[in-house]
Amino acid sequence: MRLHSLTLRNFRGVKDRTVRLPALGTTVVVGDNEVGKSSLVEAFGLIFDLPDDSKSTRIRDIQPVGQDVAPEVTAELTLGGRELTYTKRWLKNRSTELAVVEADGRRTAWTGREAHNEAERLFHEYVDPVLWQTLMVSQGQSLVLPTPADAEPLITAVTAESGTPVDGASMPLVSAVEHEYLRYWTRGGRATGDYAKSEKAVAAAELQAAQALKAMEEVQQDIRRAERLTLDLADVDGRLGDHLTTVEEVRERKQATDEILLRRDTVRSKAETARARLVNHTRTREERERLFDEVERFTKIDAELAERRTDADTVAKAAAETVQAAEAALAEVIELKDLRRTDVQDAERRVSQLVDQAELERLVGQQTELIDVRARIVTAAAILDKIKVDDGLFAALEDARAAVVEARAALAAGVPEVVVRRLGAEPVELSGKGVEAGTKRMPKELGFDETAELLVSGELVVGVPGQVEVTVRAGGEAATLRSRVDDAVRREKELLKKAGVKDVAAAREQLRKADTASAELQEARRTEKSLTSAGDPGERIAVLTARLGIGAEDEGEQSGSKQAAVEGVPGQMSLFEEFASPLDTLFDDFELPAPPPDDLTGAQRQLDDARTELAGVERLLTEAEFAAAQARKAADEDRSEAQQARARSEIAGERLAAAVEALAAARKVLDDEAVAAAETDATAEVEAVLEELTAVQEQADAAGADQVAGELADALAVATRMQGERDTLRDALRTTEGRLEQSGRDGMATRRDVAELELAAIRSEHESLHRRAEAARRVYETLGRHRAAAQTKYSEPLQTRIEALGRGVYGPSFKIWLDDDLAVAERELDGVRLPIEALSTGAQEQLAIITRLAISHLVSTGDGSVPVIFDDALGWSDKARLRDMGALLGRAGDHGQVIILTCMPDRYEYVPKATFIKLDG
Amino acid sequence: MDDSITFLHSSDWQLGMLRRFLGPDGQARWGQARLDAVARIGEVAEQTGAAFVVVTGDVFEHNQVERQTILRACEALKRIPVPVVLLPGNHDALEPGSLWTSSQWQAHAPDHVTVLTDTTPIEILPGVEVVGAPWRSRRPTSDPAAAAYTDLEPAPPGTTRILLVHGQLTSLSGGMSEVPPIDQPALEAAVATKKVQYVGLGDRHSTTKVTDRIWFSGTQEVTTPEETDPGNVLKVTVSQSAIDVEPIRVGAWHMVDHRVELFDEESLKALEDWFAELPDKERTYVRLAGDGSLSLPLLSRLDTMIDVQGEAFASVEKWAKFWTVRPAPDAADLDALQLSGPARAAMEELRQALAGGDESAGAALSLMHRLARDAG
Repeated sequence: MRLHSLTLRNFRGVKDRTVRLPALGTTVVVGDNEVGKSSLVEAFGLIFDLPDDSKSTRIRDIQPVGQDVAPEVTAELTLGGRELTYTKRWLKNRSTELAVVEADGRRTAWTGREAHNEAERLFHEYVDPVLWQTLMVSQGQSLVLPTPADAEPLITAVTAESGTPVDGASMPLVSAVEHEYLRYWTRGGRATGDYAKSEKAVAAAELQAAQALKAMEEVQQDIRRAERLTLDLADVDGRLGDHLTTVEEVRERKQATDEILLRRDTVRSKAETARARLVNHTRTREERERLFDEVERFTKIDAELAERRTDADTVAKAAAETVQAAEAALAEVIELKDLRRTDVQDAERRVSQLVDQAELERLVGQQTELIDVRARIVTAAAILDKIKVDDGLFAALEDARAAVVEARAALAAGVPEVVVRRLGAEPVELSGKGVEAGTKRMPKELGFDETAELLVSGELVVGVPGQVEVTVRAGGEAATLRSRVDDAVRREKELLKKAGVKDVAAAREQLRKADTASAELQEARRTEKSLTSAGDPGERIAVLTARLGIGAEDEGEQSGSKQAAVEGVPGQMSLFEEFASPLDTLFDDFELPAPPPDDLTGAQRQLDDARTELAGVERLLTEAEFAAAQARKAADEDRSEAQQARARSEIAGERLAAAVEALAAARKVLDDEAVAAAETDATAEVEAVLEELTAVQEQADAAGADQVAGELADALAVATRMQGERDTLRDALRTTEGRLEQSGRDGMATRRDVAELELAAIRSEHESLHRRAEAARRVYETLGRHRAAAQTKYSEPLQTRIEALGRGVYGPSFKIWLDDDLAVAERELDGVRLPIEALSTGAQEQLAIITRLAISHLVSTGDGSVPVIFDDALGWSDKARLRDMGALLGRAGDHGQVIILTCMPDRYEYVPKATFIKLDG
Repeated sequence: MDDSITFLHSSDWQLGMLRRFLGPDGQARWGQARLDAVARIGEVAEQTGAAFVVVTGDVFEHNQVERQTILRACEALKRIPVPVVLLPGNHDALEPGSLWTSSQWQAHAPDHVTVLTDTTPIEILPGVEVVGAPWRSRRPTSDPAAAAYTDLEPAPPGTTRILLVHGQLTSLSGGMSEVPPIDQPALEAAVATKKVQYVGLGDRHSTTKVTDRIWFSGTQEVTTPEETDPGNVLKVTVSQSAIDVEPIRVGAWHMVDHRVELFDEESLKALEDWFAELPDKERTYVRLAGDGSLSLPLLSRLDTMIDVQGEAFASVEKWAKFWTVRPAPDAADLDALQLSGPARAAMEELRQALAGGDESAGAALSLMHRLARDAG
């Protein structure tokens, strides 16, 4: 098909426009938005699709808005070698006209519905709808990659070119094969549907059959077990029967020997009796001998013990004497010790007296000193009482003095100072009040050349009588200053009076004296305190004199001399007077072994000697006490031994008497000779019976009587064991038979047979399914393989064409792969292979355009070729690609009709040899 | 033959037997047929005036058959109006757990039925003794028949004695038996010395005469196609001096092996005709052995035929062991399908694989052929 011209009237925004298109080559139709580029494509579609009486909204949509006009389209085109002129008007004054000029120049015309039908028929005859849809790219569709597999002209072209017939006819077979395959297999190649179910069924049936078989095998094992048990049981029964016969034989033998044994028992019991009697007689003899022994032994013991008793008594007596001697010696030592202790006490008393005397002397000295000190305290206290000045008063005095001076100074400064000097002969009289002349008194008169310097706080009258009188009056503050001075002076005077001194200097003197007296007083008090620190010496002296009162005689003259020393101390005097009375008769009775030494050292030495003496005596006493205790202990032991000896001797006597009595009693019953005779008789009897027993035993041994019982017991034990064995077997057999009975009731064999039958059936079914599934797979795979190979082969021409075009744009490394639908699936550039979806938008669009051009090229030679129409493409390509794509689009025009609609003509400025048609609004 | 006696001899009822090849429906009907045949023995007894019936072993398929089988067997036995003597065989040996000692059997066994549990002769009628050797184990260690006659004195004058035994004969087993066979010369000697007047044998399913007085009765109803003359009961009329044995058919089923060679439409047609001529189709099992090769259309026609016949017959089976019919697709077959391109190529590949001996390619080729034909 070639499109020659299109005329649109009252079509959307287009009032009337005809566009003529070159039959070959690339045409670029340029127009701004909304001028009706797309309407051209739309109009071409509508004229073939819809009859003039169509009520389709597509028709309503093309009528210009608000205009009651009829949209009209005229197309001129070549179709299958015929020239067609086809006009159609819709809505108003509807009409369809078709004029066809055959290749041979014949001309035919149709109108109305006939025209529409004829046009439609021709269009469908010569335009493959898939190819048409593939190569006509409407606005916004330029990115969509074409899938042209069903485009007949393309298939014809590639078939012609590849030599491989495209087997469209076998498609029903292909789907039948696939359908068959999918009955048994998933696309992933796993078993499915009935086939998969049958696999499971086989497994289940196998399990069931195995279980049934196992159960039946168990039954058979039970049968074999029961058979074996039956045999074993028969065997045991046989052996048991034999054995019971043996038992009977033994039992009979035993009955025969039992008589001998009975006899033996009788003899044995006789022997027992004889033996017992013998034992009895022997015991009597032995008892008699024992009595003899006892009498003899006790006699001997009695003599020994009597002797021992005498000895013990002697020893005890000697010990008692020793005790007496030791106690006498002890008493002597105790007496001596008492004497020595008295000596020590005397010496101690003497030492004590001498110490007390020395102490008394020291205390009397101390007391004298105390009296002196106390006198000093009285004196100093008297001095202090007289002095009225103290530190506070003195300070006040000093302050008052200072205040006077200060007030005076203030007065001097604040009042006129008048200097009056007598120069002449005339007397100068001075009077007034509140006048001061420093330390001096103001003179009533001034002598010649005498000067008075005066401070006037009140009024001063200087007069030279008869000549002149000058009155000086202090004004202002003078009175106040004056009164302050007076106050200060008054205060000072009061303080001086209080201190009892004439001035401050005297006060200072008084204060110094007070300090001296105070120091003296303090020192005396401290001395007093140290003297009385151990208590009042008076009390101590009283105690000591009381204690020494016994020896007052010796101190008589001393106490006399001391009287003066303690004079003046109240209460002391009378004490000493009391002790002064002589009491010398008190110690007259004492005869002292040595005159008591007067000195302390001698007395001390005498005490030490006395103590040494006492210690010696005490040691002696300890020894004597020990000796006495030892003697007492020894005496006690000896006495106790003597008592024991006496007791034992008495017991021995009693036992001897008893033994003698017992012997006598025994003899009275049976005399010694009879005892011996009885024993001899019994011995003989025993020997006789034993002989008889031996004979019987020989008889028993000969008959094997003793073994028979054992044999019988053993045989019976064996029988019992065998019976047990038989019972066990019988029980086992019964159990097994019971189980078998149950198995029989359960029909185990039938169950096994049924299970095996079912398994066989299911297996056979499965095998049949398996064969069919395998066949289906084989067919599916084989056919698939061949189809894939054919596919590859016939996609080759298109692939080659696309790659040839693409290399013009992308260079020599450009490669592509097509899928089953002949759509581009992958692209390789510079060795990088990518799926189409992974490419950039621009690259995708370019590839889509290249593919269309390639298809167009392939089909260009046949009758079925159609124009390639791009409505607004290459919107995503950069400048460099635009140039290459432009060259491609230009070349495409060499083989067919390429129509490009665009509002961006610069995108196509690189298309060589293109015809540009500009549409105006 | 004043003192002659007539009785029926049967064996190997094997009640409870299952046949894999019959399918559930065929199995049920065949099972019933085996019981019907037992009942028919009763009818024959009535018709022939037989005094009693002996069954020489394998009355039941197992000792552990299901209860239903025992109860139905008892019902069938009740329909035999004369005394019946049963001998335990190898299938229903008198072993521990034996059916014969089970409460199920003992509770339901009809009174006129005697089971031989030892080798003591029993006088079933005045002047007629029956003695048998019941199997006591499935695997006896010695001649399973010997015990019944070894110590036997010759029958008293005027007494006819019938020996019932079960097992293979040396002459017939070919020495392949797992269990010791019956000593045939000893058996014949027992007959010769007049210890017994007739020996009823069991175990062999085909009616077989060993000597005039020694017979296998065979099974009452066929169990495999290999059996040569099954489905009979023996009517035996015996006296000291004479013997007359007559097989009477009681079975209703057929089991047939058929061997065919298939190579063209003709041979297929011949098979079809053979099927058509067989009687009692619903009671017939056919086991087909086949050889040859068929074109794909003929092969699918064969399959269809076997399927169809399988519905009419009790069962029709290809005998897998002896079935070697192969598809032989020729170019004409394929051309007829008018395939082109990859489909044609695929089919060609399969055809060549088959020609090269790839068996599974045959199935694939047949399938593809069918699909192509149906799709076309």
